[in-house]
Amino acid sequence: MTVVEQTGAPKTTSPGRARRRPSPLGSKWTPYLFLAPAALFILVFQAVPLLQEVYLSFTRTRLLNPTRSEWVGLDNYNRIFGDPEFHRTLLITIVYVITCVVVAIGAGLVVALLLNKKFRGRGVARALVTVPWAAPGIAVALIATWMLNAQYGIVNRFLDAVGLGVPGGAILDSPRYALPAVLATTIWQLFPFTSVVLLSALQSVPQDLNEAATVDGAGRWATFRAVTWQVIKPTVGLLALLMTIWSLRRFELIWLMTKGGPVGATETLVIDLYSQAFDSKELGSAAAIGMVGVVISLIVIIGSRLVARAVEKGDVR
Amino acid sequence: MRRFRFGVTARIVAVLVVLGVAVFPLYWMFVTALSSNSDLFADQPRLTPDLGQFGVFVDALAEGKAAGWLLNSLIIAVGTMVVSVGLGIPLGYALSRFSFWGKAVLTVVLLFTQMLPEALMVVPLFALFRRFELLDSLTGLVLVNSAFVLPIVALILKGAIDGIPKELEEAARADGARPFTTLTRINVPLIAPSIAATAVIAFFHAWNEYVFAVTFIFNPDLQPASVGIANFIGELGTPIQTVMAVAFLFTLPAVAFYLLVQKYVVSGMTAGAVKG
Repeated sequence: MTVVEQTGAPKTTSPGRARRRPSPLGSKWTPYLFLAPAALFILVFQAVPLLQEVYLSFTRTRLLNPTRSEWVGLDNYNRIFGDPEFHRTLLITIVYVITCVVVAIGAGLVVALLLNKKFRGRGVARALVTVPWAAPGIAVALIATWMLNAQYGIVNRFLDAVGLGVPGGAILDSPRYALPAVLATTIWQLFPFTSVVLLSALQSVPQDLNEAATVDGAGRWATFRAVTWQVIKPTVGLLALLMTIWSLRRFELIWLMTKGGPVGATETLVIDLYSQAFDSKELGSAAAIGMVGVVISLIVIIGSRLVARAVEKGDVR
Repeated sequence: MRRFRFGVTARIVAVLVVLGVAVFPLYWMFVTALSSNSDLFADQPRLTPDLGQFGVFVDALAEGKAAGWLLNSLIIAVGTMVVSVGLGIPLGYALSRFSFWGKAVLTVVLLFTQMLPEALMVVPLFALFRRFELLDSLTGLVLVNSAFVLPIVALILKGAIDGIPKELEEAARADGARPFTTLTRINVPLIAPSIAATAVIAFFHAWNEYVFAVTFIFNPDLQPASVGIANFIGELGTPIQTVMAVAFLFTLPAVAFYLLVQKYVVSGMTAGAVKG
C-alpha cells in the first residue's frame, strides 16, 4: 500500500480497498460486471425480439391486432414455399446477392491493384475512392433516383445522347432494368470497401517474390495467380462472406428506390418481409420470410467456416 | 520504352475514371442543389455548379424543417455514440482480458447479430417500445441504435485491447489497482484511436439509420434527417434544389469523418469479422 501512495498514483486508493483487498485479477465475477450492461442491451433489443419473431412465424398474427395470435404450426412456411411469387423473391435475392458479391469484389480488386502502384496523388486517390462507402444510404438512394429520373435524370440524358436510351426513360419503372439499376447503385456503394480492404491485403504481398516471378519469365497473369492471389485469398473469402450477409439484409436502398417493384422485379427477402408486415399486415408470414433469410445467412456463415477450415488443413486449394 | 509510357498513361486514365465514378453522384447532388430552374430543365443540363445559387443552402436551413431534422439526427447520433462506446469499452475489455463461462456463446451472439436485418426486428421492437412508452421519443431510438451498433463497437475495441501488452496491466495490478481502474487509466488511453473510430462508426450508424426512425416516430417535429430526406423521394412539392441541398448537408459530415478515420474503421471491421 505504501508503495502505491509513494508512487503517487491512483486516486482510488481509498479506505474501501483497505477493508477488502481484491485479488490481483478481481473476483471471478469481475468479467460479468464489465459485460453485464452491454449483454443486457443485446438481450433486450436483439435476442428477445428475435425469439419473438421465431414464435410469430408459427402463428397467424395481424398487424392491427397483434396481441391475438393463433398458433398455426408450419402453415406460414408451407404457404410461402408453395407460392410462386416467393420463389421469384428467392431467385431475385440470390441473383442480387451473388451479383453484389462477385462484382463488388471484382471491381474492388481491380481498383485495389490500380491504387497499389506508387504514383503522385495516390493518397488523395485512395481517400476519394472511399467516398461512396461513407455516403449515407438514404442520400445515395435519393441521388440515384434523381439521376435515374425518366425526364431530367443525367443517366437518361447520357444514354439518349449515346443512343442507348431506354424507351420512355423510366429505368426504375421497368421490370427489365430496375434490378440492374439497383444493383449498380449497391455496387457503387460497396466497391470502395472491398477495394480498401484488398488494398491493405496487397501490402503484405512480398514484392521480391513478384519480381522473382517476373525475372523467371512468368507473365503478369501467372505472377498474379502464383503470388498475389495466394496472399489475398483469405481476404477475398472474408469479403465474400461480409458482402453476402450485408446484401441479404440490405433494405433502405432497395426500398427507397423501388419498394421492391415494378411488379416484384427488385423484391428481395427483406423487402418482401417488410411489405408483408406493413402492407399486407400479416406479421406471421412476414416473420416466416425473415426466418428464411436468417437461415440462409446461417448456412452461409457455417459453410464458410467449414471451407476456411478445410483450406487451412490444405484439403482444398 | 514506348510500351512502358503507354502503360503509365492507361493507368492514369483508369484511376481518373474510377475516381470520377466514385465522386460523380455526390458532385451531381451538389450541382443539382446549385442549379437554377432553367438550367435544371434545359435540354442541355449545366454540368458545373452555379455558385451564384449558393443561397439555396441557407434557405434550406432557414425556411424548411431541415434544421430541426438535422438537430434530431445529431441528438440521436451523439446519444448512440455515448451509450454504445460507453458499453462497448467494458464489453471489449471483458472479451479480451478474461476467460469466463459463456464467453464463446457471447462471441457467437455478437457475430450473429451482424446478420439480423433491422426490418425483421422492427415488429417485435415496436411492441416493446409501445409497452415502455418509447414510441415518439429520441431516447428510444438512441437505445435501439446503440444495441445494434454495440456488437461491432465491442469487437473492434476487443481487437484493440488484444494489441496492448498485458505486462502494463499486470504492473498496475501489482500496485493494487482494481480492474476498472486498470481499464480506465491504462487501456483506454492506449486504444484512443480505436475508440475514436468506433465513436465515428456509432455516430454515423445512428445518423444514417432509417427503418426504426420511420417506424417509431410519428411526431414530425421529432423526425431525424434520414426520414425527412427519404420522404422527399417521390414527393413533388419541394423544389429539387432544396432537396439536394438538404441531402448534401446530411452527407457531408458523414463523408468527412469517415475519411478521417477510415484506416481504423476498415481494419476494425475486418478484424472484428475475422477473429471474433
